Amino acid sequence: MKGFWPVRLGSIGLAIAAAFLIDQLSKGNDFTQRLVVLAALYVTLAVSLNLINGITGQFSMGHAAFYMVGAYTAAISTLFHPELAAKNPLLWLFGMIIFGMVTAGIAGLLVGVPSLRLRGDYLAIVTLGFGEIVRIVANNVKFDTKGGSYGFSVDVHVTAVWLAWLFAFSAIAICRNLLSTARGLTFLAVREDETASLAMGVNVTQTKVTAFVIGAALAGGAGAILAHFEGFASSNMFTMDVSFIIVTMVVLGGTGSITGAVVAAVLLFFVPEKMRDLPDMPIGGITAFFILTGLAVAALRYVSQHYHGAASRKAMIYSGVVIGSVIVAAILGAALNAIPAVKLVPLVEGAKLRLVVFAVTLIVLMLLRPQGIFGKSEFSWDWFRRLGKKQEVATS
Amino acid sequence: MPIHSIPADIFLPIGGVELSTLPQQLVDGLLLGFIYALIALGYTMVYGVLKLINFAHGEVFMIGAYCALFTSWALGYIPNNTLGAGQWWMLIVMLVASMVGCGLLGMTIERFAYRPLRNQPRIASLITAIGLSLLLQYGGQIFLPLNQNIDSKINPAAGAFTIALGGGKSVDTATLKHTLEEKQAAFEEYLKRTKADPFNLDADGKKIRSEAQAAERDLKNAADTGKGTTLVIPYGKVIAMIATIFLMMGLTYLVMYTKRGRAMRAVSHDFDAASLMGINVNSIVTFTFLLGSVMAGAGAMMVATFYAGAKIDTFFGMVFGVKAFVAAVLGGIGNIPGAVLGGLLMGLTEGLVSWLGFTAYKDAVAFVVLIVVLLLRPGGLLGSAKVEKV
Repeated sequence: MKGFWPVRLGSIGLAIAAAFLIDQLSKGNDFTQRLVVLAALYVTLAVSLNLINGITGQFSMGHAAFYMVGAYTAAISTLFHPELAAKNPLLWLFGMIIFGMVTAGIAGLLVGVPSLRLRGDYLAIVTLGFGEIVRIVANNVKFDTKGGSYGFSVDVHVTAVWLAWLFAFSAIAICRNLLSTARGLTFLAVREDETASLAMGVNVTQTKVTAFVIGAALAGGAGAILAHFEGFASSNMFTMDVSFIIVTMVVLGGTGSITGAVVAAVLLFFVPEKMRDLPDMPIGGITAFFILTGLAVAALRYVSQHYHGAASRKAMIYSGVVIGSVIVAAILGAALNAIPAVKLVPLVEGAKLRLVVFAVTLIVLMLLRPQGIFGKSEFSWDWFRRLGKKQEVATS
Repeated sequence: MPIHSIPADIFLPIGGVELSTLPQQLVDGLLLGFIYALIALGYTMVYGVLKLINFAHGEVFMIGAYCALFTSWALGYIPNNTLGAGQWWMLIVMLVASMVGCGLLGMTIERFAYRPLRNQPRIASLITAIGLSLLLQYGGQIFLPLNQNIDSKINPAAGAFTIALGGGKSVDTATLKHTLEEKQAAFEEYLKRTKADPFNLDADGKKIRSEAQAAERDLKNAADTGKGTTLVIPYGKVIAMIATIFLMMGLTYLVMYTKRGRAMRAVSHDFDAASLMGINVNSIVTFTFLLGSVMAGAGAMMVATFYAGAKIDTFFGMVFGVKAFVAAVLGGIGNIPGAVLGGLLMGLTEGLVSWLGFTAYKDAVAFVVLIVVLLLRPGGLLGSAKVEKV
């Protein structure tokens, strides 16, 4: 273990420094701050779902429920003890994160136990159903006079962007370090083959439940931060779509890859956010986009299955197909828009395309690269080392 | 024993729950259950053949409703039309149109989204299905008109069966009516006298108005008590039920007594062995998707036409899709009679939940039923649970 402590302390220091750097950079602009905090929360959610879906192989689709449990716990506690929250806001926020993690962890236990009997798509459905049950119940319960189906408002005393990022970094660290322990390897064993790992003495039950509890707890902490940052928590913020978005992030990054989850979370958060500002678009262009996406996917699939030449040539063909289809899409869109009948159709709001992008991403990704961007591999410094010695790798 | 001799007491409220509305809720639930069963057939057949939960099935249903809507527009029933009641052939044209539209969509989805992934892990198909469902929901918002209604005039069988179940009490409505007229007259006279704004009354005005309202309520309650328990079943829903039964009989014939149906059952039993026995597996899978989607299309047309207040938008299929899916799992997914049983049970459960006053929790209850079934009897009511152990 040469250099264990320097590396460890160095990474911790780096994470804290990065969190505060992000805080400083986003200061002054409420809108940027909100985006940055939400990005951190989505990173946390994607990483925590990756622990359940990717690393342990239990396909869960109700992650928004745990997020919601954490947010509601924090919101309701703050509602009933406003004086405590005002006295020491930062300490209270820390406490709320812990409390949200505990309640969401208990919810994770509740979902994790049935998962012992169910696999694959059945588990997916049960977790999806659990998410909906929690949301519908929260939507209908009358909670005193202080809120209920319209949600709860929370007094915001402190805006801690750094805390959200520090929490995200901790989530990453927990998942990463877990995998380098002997106990962490049991998670992977359960994913690869449940029966074989059972035969090798792995406690499958315990492993699955642990994964659910840790994943849920991290999501709950994110929920607590959300409630305290937005100043508001309502059941409409945690619909099925949120669960689907988190699943998309995990799948896009590569089911099982923490790096992938982080990269995909950031990408899939910022790209649709930017799409809110899109100008209104003519319907012909959108139709052309749909048609050409389909054709490009078909062409790419054909190339990947029928061309067996050098990798560099293959990459060239790929980029040729993509560039070509963009050009054809532009021409087709212009042609469609020139049709008089199409001109009469009112322009489509760009923001409407936000969730369409998620859907198209999911389908295209599954058709072209089912293993996701990173597959199961993780970020490592070796990549950069290898870049320097490209020749040697190629020959070996 | 004739129906009207049921003692009045059994329909009295118990613990705040109005027992007299139970028969109506159960019948409504049962009728809706037939529609659920029709959609559940699509889920169950696809699962039987491919072991895939076709999440996009609810969206196929939604497109079916749109096909029916566009056909009704093509027949002249555009919004604010001045046409009279429709003809029977119009309903049949709408039914065929939405069945054909859904069938084509189902086959397209199978060919271009699911077939390329058949050799990948099943999770890949599941995620593609979710993606397709989102694409049809949100992409549809760009291309399709939202919040539309099929004009109810197109249904030639307007009206409803009204069945009295007895339980009425004789109430002196004449006196109550007289009181109401008196109070209303007093209120109108007050308005005339003071020239008050009826939307902004002072204390006196409010008192007179509330007296009039109370009298109106009394009369209405008395009329309800006098009527006893009646069942109101619109003709349209009965037509939907009969059509559903015929469709199911057709499906049973197709699956059980034709060569293609036998091939379908073989594929569902063992995919690889069936292909070794010379069955064209791809064509059977396409056929299964076609059948399932056609059933969904028929269901969509009937809901959109006969169920008043069904607003068609791109999320139209979501609730029905989820309920039908639960129904399929409840009956034992992959099992055709199970899907019908599950659909009917789901409908009845929903009726009961509404009757108990938990209408807001209706969608949650579907999931609760699902989870309980999966935990206690993972194979569903009619299915056989398989333990996946080596």
